[in-house]
Amino acid sequence: MPILETRDLTHVFPDGTVAIEDIDLKVNEGEFLVIAGPNGSGKTVLARHLNGLLKPTRGQVFLNGEPISKNIIEARKNVGLVFQDPESQIVGQTVAEDVAFGPENLNLPVAQVEMVVKESLAAVGLSQLATRSPHALSGGEKRKLAIAGILAMKPKIIIFDEPFTGLDYPGVVQVLKEILRLHKTGHTILLITHELEKVLAHADRLVIMHKGRLVADGKPESVIYRVEEYGVRMPLRDGEKVEALTWLK
Amino acid sequence: MAEKTTASRSMNLRMTVYAALFTALIIIGGYISIPLPVGPVPIVLADFFVMITGLFLGFKWGLASVALYLSLGALGLPVFAGGRSGLAVLFGPTGGYLFGYLLLVSSVGLLASNRKESTVRNLMALIAGNILLYGAGVPWLKAVTNLGWAGAWAAGLIPFIPGIIIKIAVASILARVFLPRFKEISVQ
Amino acid sequence: MAEMTLFHYIHKNTVLHRMDGRLKLACLLLFSLAAGFASEFHDYLVPLSVLFCAILLAKLPFTTLLREMRFFGLIILIVIVVNSFTIPGDPIANSPLAGISQQGVSTGLRFAGRLLIVLLVSMVITGTTPLMKFRDAVEWYLRPVPFVPEARVATMINLTFLLIPVILDSFREMMDAQNSRCVQLRKNPVKRIKFLVFPLIDQTLRRADEIAYAMEARCYSEIRTRTAFKCGKIDWLMLAISLAVFFFVLL
Repeated sequence: MPILETRDLTHVFPDGTVAIEDIDLKVNEGEFLVIAGPNGSGKTVLARHLNGLLKPTRGQVFLNGEPISKNIIEARKNVGLVFQDPESQIVGQTVAEDVAFGPENLNLPVAQVEMVVKESLAAVGLSQLATRSPHALSGGEKRKLAIAGILAMKPKIIIFDEPFTGLDYPGVVQVLKEILRLHKTGHTILLITHELEKVLAHADRLVIMHKGRLVADGKPESVIYRVEEYGVRMPLRDGEKVEALTWLK
Repeated sequence: MAEKTTASRSMNLRMTVYAALFTALIIIGGYISIPLPVGPVPIVLADFFVMITGLFLGFKWGLASVALYLSLGALGLPVFAGGRSGLAVLFGPTGGYLFGYLLLVSSVGLLASNRKESTVRNLMALIAGNILLYGAGVPWLKAVTNLGWAGAWAAGLIPFIPGIIIKIAVASILARVFLPRFKEISVQ
Repeated sequence: MAEMTLFHYIHKNTVLHRMDGRLKLACLLLFSLAAGFASEFHDYLVPLSVLFCAILLAKLPFTTLLREMRFFGLIILIVIVVNSFTIPGDPIANSPLAGISQQGVSTGLRFAGRLLIVLLVSMVITGTTPLMKFRDAVEWYLRPVPFVPEARVATMINLTFLLIPVILDSFREMMDAQNSRCVQLRKNPVKRIKFLVFPLIDQTLRRADEIAYAMEARCYSEIRTRTAFKCGKIDWLMLAISLAVFFFVLL
């Protein structure tokens, strides 16, 4: 059974614009899935359906075979979403306080909150900066803070919405390493991007979205040759293999 | 049933975030001043954002937003115009205007059009709100400073009139442009 | 506008900095009330000297405080001068200035003393209290108040101060972008404000939506883990001193 599944998922905005239409997607446990597509193809809307932030116009999302509308809090605990703009995700006055936001929402006892915060900060290597103001962090560090805030909820699946936007080279490397580490420690990863050259080598599967529809789904080495039809830059040059598509050395 | 409570909770969260944002805007408004081509008094935008808060958030949340602003200032955080704060400012010469913000935001929130946008109605609400604001501010100024009526009007209202007119004009244009979209999002 | 982001908090590790926020708020209230009740000369002297000690204890830098007092210094001066001249009473003997009355001077000084007490106490409190402690203390006091959702108020305080620097940053960027397109040549003030405020509101509303989604994604709830307060003997001592000052002034 897939850990996460959507059936006929459709979202129409109040003004009649169709954001996504009939999305059928199955994600298996432990998978590293890259979702690619040009701007406006519905990637972010899809991501926001996967933990119930948006309500579908039609269709449903299933977590472990159960519709997520049954227990929305459970879905949000299990499906962590790292937003594109880390600025908008930060709610704490200090790094530690920001990470505590999630567990405090779950009303965990104080001691347990402290423990989870420590663990999560250590996991992303921000322990040293616990008392700093989040706004003083670098781009890469902010993104890692956003990840720590999600880790504190102990999710099984983590969705990254355009995690490389606005990051410099060291920032991208930092974040990419973090994502790979999370995958290795058993998390299922969904990564939304249009910058395939930075990450595709590590993916198990590539899905392409175009105009709100899911238009290709399969092994990266087979799907990659069709990306340009759908408005994503073909990252491979002649003779290169998918393994070359990473910013890690 | 369960779905309904989830929806109303996320609505509450949304309004909480908006109210906090408008409080932030009011505070920032106290720091932004624009020189006017007429008169010596520059425009400060704090009261402008109070008007906007009333138009956008309505009575209940608008009042919450402005009350938060005043309480933060009363507790000593430098949120009033020019970074001032404290009970001394709240009960000082200009305190009437600060309490007047509560009248301004509630009257705009109550009187402005809530379902269908009507610029005329918004304009009326803004004018009424400003009358209440200065109706509270000027007598207070007179009482605290011993200025006498003529002095109080001359110091507390007349230099601001061009600014008031401009702010009301911009606020009603702003409402016409943004409110339909804003309401669509917030009822979604 | 760095001072806005710091909110006049000056980080040091002193007794006052570590003090329980709830007791600190109580002290703020006591001193403000004391200022209101003060009438005789020593009623002003005692709170002021206690506050002076507090500033020393908290190792707050005097120069910064003086700079912040500039504006109030002016007000205090005006109050003393205006009162001295306008309140009728006995003239002061050997005074080089005509028209000053004894009653006027003493009323002016009283008003100034009151203002000074309130000013100094809020400076000590804001200088030694980080925003988080402040927020938690406010939340704690609101807990027994009916019809006020304390968790929501705490969230609002938090978001407000979180967003001020963010909004200011984007505001400054917008101003620069407009100035580089010569917005200052526009004479119509309605247009000027429109150009300034429209993008600001637009961006702010968008940001609010994003933040609301992000908070929901992390299971935002108003039933949440409550802050644990720590308050030691020294904290109570501070409150006792404030109480003593208050009753001294009152009696």
